[in-house]
Amino acid sequence: MGKLAWRNLLRNKRRTFLTMGSVSLALLLLSMLLSMLAAMERAEGSQENRVVVRNAISLTFSLPESYLQRLQTLPHVQAITPLTWFQGVYKNDRPENFFARFASDPETVLGVFPEYQIADPQREAWQADRGGFLAGQALADKYRWKIGDQIFIKGDIYPVNLNLTLRGIFSDPGAPSQEQKILFHRKYLEEALGNPGEVGAFWLLLDSALNLPTVVAAAEKMFENSQAQVRAETEAAFRLSFVEMLGNIKLMFGAIGLAIVISILFITANTMAMAARERTTEVAVLKTLGFGRGQVVWMVLAEAVVVGLMGGLIGMAIAASIMPGIAKAMRDVFPLFGTLRLTPGALWSGVGLSLLIGATAGWFPAFQAARLRIVDGLRRVA
Amino acid sequence: MNIPMKYNFRSLFVRRGTTLMTIASIAMVVLVYIGVLSLAAGLRLAFGSSGDPRNVIVLRDGARSESESYFPLERHREMAAMPGIAHAADGNVLASGELVILQILKRANGSESNVALRGVGPEAFLVRPRLRIVEGHNFRPGAGEVIVGKSLASRFPELQLGREVTFGRLGFKVVGLFDAGGGSFASEVWGAREDFGNAFRRETVCSSSLLRAASAQGAQALAASIAGDQRLHLQPLLEPEYYASQTRATGRQFVVMGNLLGIMMGFGACFAAANTMYASVSARATEIGTLRALGFRRRSILGAFVTEAALIGLLAGAVGAVLSLPLNAYTTGTTNFLTFSEISFSLRTTPGVLVGGILLAVLTGVIGGFAPAWSASREPIAQLLRQA
Repeated sequence: MGKLAWRNLLRNKRRTFLTMGSVSLALLLLSMLLSMLAAMERAEGSQENRVVVRNAISLTFSLPESYLQRLQTLPHVQAITPLTWFQGVYKNDRPENFFARFASDPETVLGVFPEYQIADPQREAWQADRGGFLAGQALADKYRWKIGDQIFIKGDIYPVNLNLTLRGIFSDPGAPSQEQKILFHRKYLEEALGNPGEVGAFWLLLDSALNLPTVVAAAEKMFENSQAQVRAETEAAFRLSFVEMLGNIKLMFGAIGLAIVISILFITANTMAMAARERTTEVAVLKTLGFGRGQVVWMVLAEAVVVGLMGGLIGMAIAASIMPGIAKAMRDVFPLFGTLRLTPGALWSGVGLSLLIGATAGWFPAFQAARLRIVDGLRRVA
Repeated sequence: MNIPMKYNFRSLFVRRGTTLMTIASIAMVVLVYIGVLSLAAGLRLAFGSSGDPRNVIVLRDGARSESESYFPLERHREMAAMPGIAHAADGNVLASGELVILQILKRANGSESNVALRGVGPEAFLVRPRLRIVEGHNFRPGAGEVIVGKSLASRFPELQLGREVTFGRLGFKVVGLFDAGGGSFASEVWGAREDFGNAFRRETVCSSSLLRAASAQGAQALAASIAGDQRLHLQPLLEPEYYASQTRATGRQFVVMGNLLGIMMGFGACFAAANTMYASVSARATEIGTLRALGFRRRSILGAFVTEAALIGLLAGAVGAVLSLPLNAYTTGTTNFLTFSEISFSLRTTPGVLVGGILLAVLTGVIGGFAPAWSASREPIAQLLRQA
């Protein structure tokens, strides 16, 4: 019986191929959507024991630098560093020339980000040069920067232009998207602004992720009645808040995914119905020979499921092979998708959906075949 | 001689089960395509204020949007006294110094976003005559009152009419809803500049200055004299230019995404159309043979089958377009990363988007139907007639 289902698949190769083609295209799209959703929710490079403390109003408000001493006194805080988002414009304001530029404290920043790997002489050279900057490996590769190269960044949020010299290159093997940034001396910015003593956000490294809730609560409480109230959150929550700002992406992706599945269901069901209709006489013959209803149902269903599953697997194989290329293309404009891969979650959902599509599409023709009266089947000229 | 269209309509109807399934699958493709592009159209409309060529907007030098810009209020007062600025009928100078502040607020679904608060004086309403209060009343300065753009109020529970909300260190009450007559003001909260200055400790600064000249030429002269004043460190832009720079990048990612999805899903649907047409051709071998024997030429057969496939596409496109119409009632929001603030917008299935969707469907039908139509027209007559 299995052999018969297989032969049926090969009988009209063109039709089988076309149906599988449309199923693979659908699963290619679906698995990419699912992987993108997963990439958005992963917040790559976040450490479980890092906390971000910022102004409660919004990111456009800064905090007084004196908060550093008070935050340092909190229990469980191992290291703390100020980071200020400078933004600015490098070369021009085209999206491919956009990357993160932070004003930082060279003495403490690498203590809070211990995963950044940098050679000691480079780190020391950077710490010694107030006009020096550190660049991530990926960024340095992209612009072919060498140690000693100078760059110019025009200020937009701050009325200050920067002339910086590359002193070191760091890498973050666990999260290449974190290499899309540069770090320069906060003192450089402060002096140019006339020492206002402001900091964008404080980054804290805790001794253990278990102490996170207590530290977050204590930090917020500490400044409850101060001039500027703070919001403290985990690094992952901080990064996800940017994705959240984009709006209801999940709903949009979900709606698109659903439309793709429904569309493909119609296509496959249509083909299976055509295939089954052609074989009405055959089914009647099989029944005459004594094959039971169950066997007939199984034969038609198996054919549909195989078409669905094979189409799906082909689609996901294509997705898996082209996604690194897409990730590379998107890395500069959308670092979030810089390491896009087919996730296991997307893969298994895809397999499940392919089976579901096949089974649903095959159900109606299978049911019809099972109900067919032998006489009708034999009398009908297909 | 061509085969009459009636033949095509009839044959679609004869195989209506298959035809309907194919139409349904192509219609879903059209629905996704129209859906994503209507997002882009809605976004463009939300920004779509064209600006008045008589208006000059002034920002701090180097700032690219109002939320990045701060300069002393004193500078605004100096500019308001410059020659060339128009006066209202009651003698007020048409110059509005405005403070833009971003405040984190919760959307109805619990997620968070930065909402733009705009602190203004009475002049702001004179330079923007299209803005009107649609519910409640205007805010009174010093009373801790604000008014909210209509589409924003429905999406942020804290901003509903009559609600109390905390901005910075002070409490405010929503006393009115306004309609901005198009443009991004609809996504803002407006209050008195002094009140917001007090709440956020920004009493002596403003973000932008909107100046009205008597004419478009006057505006250009005004802009030139502000740009020429090295002491000010300010950057004047004609309002239409400023809006154009804000809109440029917006929605482009949705247009790219809509087209990519549409084309890829369209390919899948092409396969469905091809399947349907192949089945239809093989079932009608005798018919085709008869038509050929009657003297219809090969290219008439080809034309007839391609027309039939195009008809399937057209019907599917129409179904998809009709199904997409309820999308117009849907309002959502995203962050404009240039201003870093929330922008509310409604999906808009503009005629252009609808026509694009229908064209995609017809194209899908034609591409899918061409190969089957070709093979139908190539078979020898004897072969076709023998198949019965």
